[in-house]
Amino acid sequence: MLENYLPIVVFIFLGLAFGAGPVLIGYLLGPSKPDPEKNSQFECGFPAFDDSRMYFNVRYYLVAILFILFDLEVAFVFPWAVVQSQLGWFGFIGMTIFLSLLVVGFIFEWKKGALEWE
Amino acid sequence: MTSAQILFYTFSFFLVASSLIMIFAKNAAKAVLFLVLAFFSVAGLWILLEAEFLAITLILVYVGAVMVLFLFVIKMLNIDKSTLRAKFAGYLPLGLIVAAIIVAEMTMVLGHEQFGLNIYPAPEKASADYSNITILALQLYTDYVYPFELAAVLLLIAIIAAIALVHRPEQNRKKQDISEQVSVRAKDRLRIVSIAKNNKEVNND
Amino acid sequence: MGFWNAITNFITQTIPWFDGILASIIIILIKAFALIIPLMLMVAYFTYAERKVIGYMQLRLGPNRVGPKGWLQPIADAVKLMFKEIIFPTKADVYLYLLAPVLAIAPAIAVWAVIPLDADLYIANLDVSLLYILAVGSIGVYGIILAGWASNSKYPLLGALRSASLLVSYEIVIGFALVTVVMIAGSVNLNAIVEAQKGSILHWYWIPLFPMMIIFFISALVETNRAPFDVVEGESEIVGGTHVEYSGMTFAVFFLAEYANMILMAILAVIMFFGGWHSPFEGVPYIGEFFSWVPGLVWVLAKATFFMFAYLWVRATFPRFRYDQIMRLSWKVFLPFTIAWIFVVALMTQLKIGPWF
Repeated sequence: MLENYLPIVVFIFLGLAFGAGPVLIGYLLGPSKPDPEKNSQFECGFPAFDDSRMYFNVRYYLVAILFILFDLEVAFVFPWAVVQSQLGWFGFIGMTIFLSLLVVGFIFEWKKGALEWE
Repeated sequence: MTSAQILFYTFSFFLVASSLIMIFAKNAAKAVLFLVLAFFSVAGLWILLEAEFLAITLILVYVGAVMVLFLFVIKMLNIDKSTLRAKFAGYLPLGLIVAAIIVAEMTMVLGHEQFGLNIYPAPEKASADYSNITILALQLYTDYVYPFELAAVLLLIAIIAAIALVHRPEQNRKKQDISEQVSVRAKDRLRIVSIAKNNKEVNND
Repeated sequence: MGFWNAITNFITQTIPWFDGILASIIIILIKAFALIIPLMLMVAYFTYAERKVIGYMQLRLGPNRVGPKGWLQPIADAVKLMFKEIIFPTKADVYLYLLAPVLAIAPAIAVWAVIPLDADLYIANLDVSLLYILAVGSIGVYGIILAGWASNSKYPLLGALRSASLLVSYEIVIGFALVTVVMIAGSVNLNAIVEAQKGSILHWYWIPLFPMMIIFFISALVETNRAPFDVVEGESEIVGGTHVEYSGMTFAVFFLAEYANMILMAILAVIMFFGGWHSPFEGVPYIGEFFSWVPGLVWVLAKATFFMFAYLWVRATFPRFRYDQIMRLSWKVFLPFTIAWIFVVALMTQLKIGPWF
C-alpha cells in the first residue's frame, strides 16, 4: 500500500515546483523597475481612504461553520456509500436516522433564515 | 534504519517543528499555514500506519474545512496585538496549570503500561487487496452504529449552536423572493387607464 | 500497465544497476512529465480554443494574427507574460503573496497522479483515490484566500471572501453528488468506478444519476470560477477579484491552475458519469467490435472535450449570476436535492432496480 503513495509525494513536490518555477523564471526574465505609484494598491484613481483589512459580514463566518459541519457529514457518508449494498436494510435504516438528524438541522437553519443573503 | 523509520522521523520532525513555529509565529496567517503543515505531517504518519482513509479524511476535514474557517476568522478579526500581549501575562498562571494537567494526563494514558508494544503489538502488514475504507465502514455501521448515530446528534447540536451564536436576524433586510417574483401578474403592477377619446381640453401643441 | 511497464522495462533492462527507491522516483518523474507536459499544452490550447469558440459564437474571428489562424497565440502569450515585471505591492506580505499562486497550482497538479486515463494508464492507484481528489482539491481554496489576504488591497480581499464562501458551499454539493456515484459503484477507487460502468452506454451512470450529473457540471463551473458564476473575477463589480495585484508570471500561474482544474473537472465528469475509457459503442453488435481497437485514452479525451466545449458554450450564453443567487442555488436547491437523491439511490440499490446495481 505504501508504494502507492510514492507517486503522490512526487506529484505534490512537482506541483510546488510548477508553481515556484514559472514565478522564478518571470522574476529573472522580467524587468524590475519599482515605482511608488505602480506598487501602490489598486484603487479607482485616488489614494486608498483607509486600510484594506476591514470588518466583514458575520454571514461569511456562518457559511464557513456550516461548511465544516456538512463536510463532516460527507466524510461520514462516504464509507457508508462504499458498503451500503453489503449492509442491506440495516445500513439503510442507520443512514436514514443519521441523515434525518442532519435534515432536522438543515430545516432549522433554513427556517431561522441563516441561508438568506440580502 | 529502514525506509519506514526514516519516513517516520522525517514526518515527526516536521510535525514538531511546524507545531512550534505555529505557536511562536507572530503573524496569525502564518501560524495557520504551519498548522496546515502539521496536519500534513500527521497524515503522513497515519499513512505509515496504513490508515489511509483516516489520513485523507484528516486532510479533507481539517485542512480543507477547519483551517479555512480559521483563515476566515483571521481575516475578519482586526486583532490588536498590544491588547493580546497585555492579557498574556494575566492568563499565564492559569494556562500553565492547565498545561501541566494535560501533560500529566497524557503521560498516564500514553505510558508503557497502557500503550506499550506488549499490549498493542504492531499491526501486521496488510495484503495487497486490503481495503482500509471497506473494513472501517463494515465495522462503523454495524458494531458501532450507536456511536455513529450519536455523532449525528452531536453534529445537529453543533449546527443549532452555530446558528444561535452567529446568526442575528436583521431588520429591514432586502432579499429576493423568487416565488413572489415568478407569480407576479401584469395586473398587479400595471393599471390600465382608459382615456376618453374626444377630450377637447387637451391641446398637444 | 502496458505503456508504463514498457518504459520501466526499457530503463531497467538498458541500465542494470538501476534499482531501489531512487530508481522508482526517477521512473515516476518520467511518467509525471509524460502526463504534465501534454496537460500544459492542453491548457495553452484550451485558452486558444476558448477565444476562438467564443469569438465565433459572438460573430468575431478571435485571435488570427500570430501564426497560421492564430495557432501560435498561446505561445506568444506565455512568452510575453514571462518578460513582464512581477510587481510586489508595497503593502503586501511578500512571502504569502508569492506562496498564494504556488498553493493554487500545487493541488491542481497533484490530483492528476490518481486520474486513470485508460484501463492501465494511471500513475498511482490509491484505494481512496476519489477522496484524495476531494481532499487535495479543497486545498485550492488556500491559494485564493491567501492571494486576497496577502495583497492587502480591497478588491482582492472582497474577491477572496466571496470566492472562498462559494467554493466551500459547492464543495459540499459535489461531495454529496459523488456519494451517489460511490453508492452504485461500491468503491471510492476511480479505476473501480469506471470498471463498474462496463457493459454498454446504458450501464454508464448518467442515466440513474442524471440530475446528479447536471448538478456536478454546474458545481464544477463554480469550483473553477467560470462564467456565469465568476463573481470572483467579476470585472464589472470588483475589477479582477483576487488577481488584481498579480502581474506577469504570478498571474499566469493562477491562470494555469484554473484551466488545469477545468480540464480535471471535465475528465472527472467523464469518469464518474460517462464510463471513463469505455467505448460508447461497447456491447453494440458489429459497431462495438469495429471500434474495439480505439485506445481508451481517445474516448476519455473525446468525452472530456465535449464537457470542455460546454464550459465555453455556457460562458458565451449566460449572463453572470448575482452572488446571493449562487449561494441560494447551492444551499437551497442543490443540497436538499442531492440528499434526497441519496435516498432514492439507496432505495434503488436495495430493491435492485436497473442494470447498474
